[in-house]
Amino acid sequence: MNNLIVSPAPHAHSGDTVRRNMLNVIIALVPAYLVSLFYFGLGAFIVSATAIVACVVFEFLIQRFLLKQNNSIGDFSAILTGLLLGFNLPSNLPIWIVVIGALVAIGVGKMSFGGLGNNLFNPALVGRVFLLISFPAPMTTWPRPIAWNSSYLDAETAATPLSLIKENGAEALPAMWEMFIGNMGGSLGEVSAIALLIGGIFLICTRTITWHIPVSILTTVAAFTGILYACDVINVTPLFHLCAGGMMLGAIFMATDYVTSPMSASGQIIYGIGIGIITVVIRVFGAYPEGMSFAILIMNAVTPLLNTYLRPKRFGENKK
Amino acid sequence: MKSLKIILNGLIKENPTFVLLLGMCPTLGTTSSAINGMSMGLATTFVLICSNIVISLIKNLVPDKVRIPCYVVVIAAFVSVLQMCMEAYVPAIYETLGLFIPLIVVNCIVLGRAEAFAAKNNAWYSALDGIGIGLGFTFALTLLGAMRELLGTGKVFSLTLFPENYGALVFVLAPGAFIALGYLIAIVNKMRKA
Amino acid sequence: MVVVLTLISLIAAGILGAVYTVTAEPIQQAKTAKQQAAIQQVLTTFNRLETDTVNNLPVHRAYQDDNFAGAAVEASSNGFGGEIKIMVGFDPQGNIIDYAVLQQAETPGLGTKIVDWFKTDKNNQSIKGKNPGKNNLTVSKDGGEVDAITAATISSRAFLEALQSAYQAYAGNDEATNATTGATSLQPDTTAVDSLNIQLTDSINAIIE
Repeated sequence: MNNLIVSPAPHAHSGDTVRRNMLNVIIALVPAYLVSLFYFGLGAFIVSATAIVACVVFEFLIQRFLLKQNNSIGDFSAILTGLLLGFNLPSNLPIWIVVIGALVAIGVGKMSFGGLGNNLFNPALVGRVFLLISFPAPMTTWPRPIAWNSSYLDAETAATPLSLIKENGAEALPAMWEMFIGNMGGSLGEVSAIALLIGGIFLICTRTITWHIPVSILTTVAAFTGILYACDVINVTPLFHLCAGGMMLGAIFMATDYVTSPMSASGQIIYGIGIGIITVVIRVFGAYPEGMSFAILIMNAVTPLLNTYLRPKRFGENKK
Repeated sequence: MKSLKIILNGLIKENPTFVLLLGMCPTLGTTSSAINGMSMGLATTFVLICSNIVISLIKNLVPDKVRIPCYVVVIAAFVSVLQMCMEAYVPAIYETLGLFIPLIVVNCIVLGRAEAFAAKNNAWYSALDGIGIGLGFTFALTLLGAMRELLGTGKVFSLTLFPENYGALVFVLAPGAFIALGYLIAIVNKMRKA
Repeated sequence: MVVVLTLISLIAAGILGAVYTVTAEPIQQAKTAKQQAAIQQVLTTFNRLETDTVNNLPVHRAYQDDNFAGAAVEASSNGFGGEIKIMVGFDPQGNIIDYAVLQQAETPGLGTKIVDWFKTDKNNQSIKGKNPGKNNLTVSKDGGEVDAITAATISSRAFLEALQSAYQAYAGNDEATNATTGATSLQPDTTAVDSLNIQLTDSINAIIE
């Protein structure tokens, strides 16, 4: 009797599974990962591999011994969380900090709420923000990008473009083109705008994500920084803000997480606009140089509200 | 027998932090270290005992309509006394607890016990209730403070258990207070049910 | 009803008044003791203090018998998380003896390191023995010779800014040092006086901006 499934029509299945979608996202991250391996070398590999392994191990242990559920490692979501967490960390971060980040991402960010589908906040970002507040010095010391790099903990350090403008330092900003291809200091996966965009186009073409969230975030940031630029509040172009920091990684891969973003198209656009505005406000007026991860977490918290008020219209429903 | 029961009631069965979830503001705000949590707990205990005794003594004199203003005046008086004494004799602790000392006036535990217990019982039982609830609060704050201090800086009561560099600073800051309190309540509830 | 409330308030007021009279003295003593301890810490031997105000900053000038033994200056600036208040001790030549942070609300683990970062003898961290009139005591990112606290440049800058204003108050009152005023040259690193003036102009500009 357990094999009988009761469900409303239509009874077609697209073959879409959690596993399939997670795999698509992982494939889409490959270009950015290759760029990162090129610039940050060994460190990028150690940090991302540690994050993935630690996330999978913690997911297994917590499900087995604390929640006593069947394990869900096969859906690849823990692997993706680990990969995204790694992408959000500097590549010269000591291994033990990466492991703590993975514990917080899976333990606090995901499993405390009941596992995949129940979590309120993006687990990888919970891990990253926890580490950023807990270990501010190692989390804001970025390695200098050097082609075919083989250093790890002893890597030469460099500031990110965003922290350069925040601290009004004497160092010159990297050229726009360098920032676009990823030759700048930053988290290991966030530096290359072009590689992340390629991944984003792949995700939209395979219908893994829709365009609403990334486009509304990027448009809002461009418009808001454009206004600030025109009014002489900031002296860097909107293009700089689009390429700097975690903007592309956040807009394409972090904000579009299924569980923590709104379901309806209108909800997604409001969510994207909110992220864009909060990010720029933190970057320009706030204490931290980068605000992408805070902005996404804040809007994650608003998501249930957006889902309540902006439900997708049911098929055949009359307009009032 | 009833005396012991009243004390245990405050400590365990109606623990203000873990069960009643009262007085969350000082709980989250002052527990950045074990010693701060304990000082705050003891300060509140002092006010709680004194105000409970006085309120249970005057409960028959006070007309029902103005009982809340009267209770607040009594509580505020004891808080001010405590504040001045702390500033004079333990200035270091006074400085760290800062704003939270005057805020004991509006701590809902104090007024809550005055309404719920002291206004209905005699002075002896009220004093015991103050001791029980106060110690329960102190216990919870010390535990939370010790947990945050240990995870954040590797110390408990300034005794180093592991090097400070390995501490997760977030636990000393406000967000860590929420995370630590959440997990502590979860653990305590699990143990109470078991 | 009114009578009872008035009565209770009156009794409470009476008790408070009594406690206040008892504790007023120790409170004052505790405050003075804290300030004295800070002065003791930042100055070497002295047996007489004279306190006056220069540029609105309290300057405690210390004397060993009748010889000028240096001064402790209180100064403040706006840090990352609010006001930073420090006390700096200068010897008669204007060299920094030591400093104490009286009040700060910087980020724990980062900005709070100002409490002893600039006393630690490591790389170019320490400012002890340096003279703000001769050394360019700004962070190395701004072309100075002091290493900023890792990942806390803003707190470091604020601390050094307070240090500068303390030195201005000290120098303005002490003819022994050569802090002449009026020079407006912007040539960097020619003389000690010039670099001092640059920093002065910078901080004035910062205020204007």
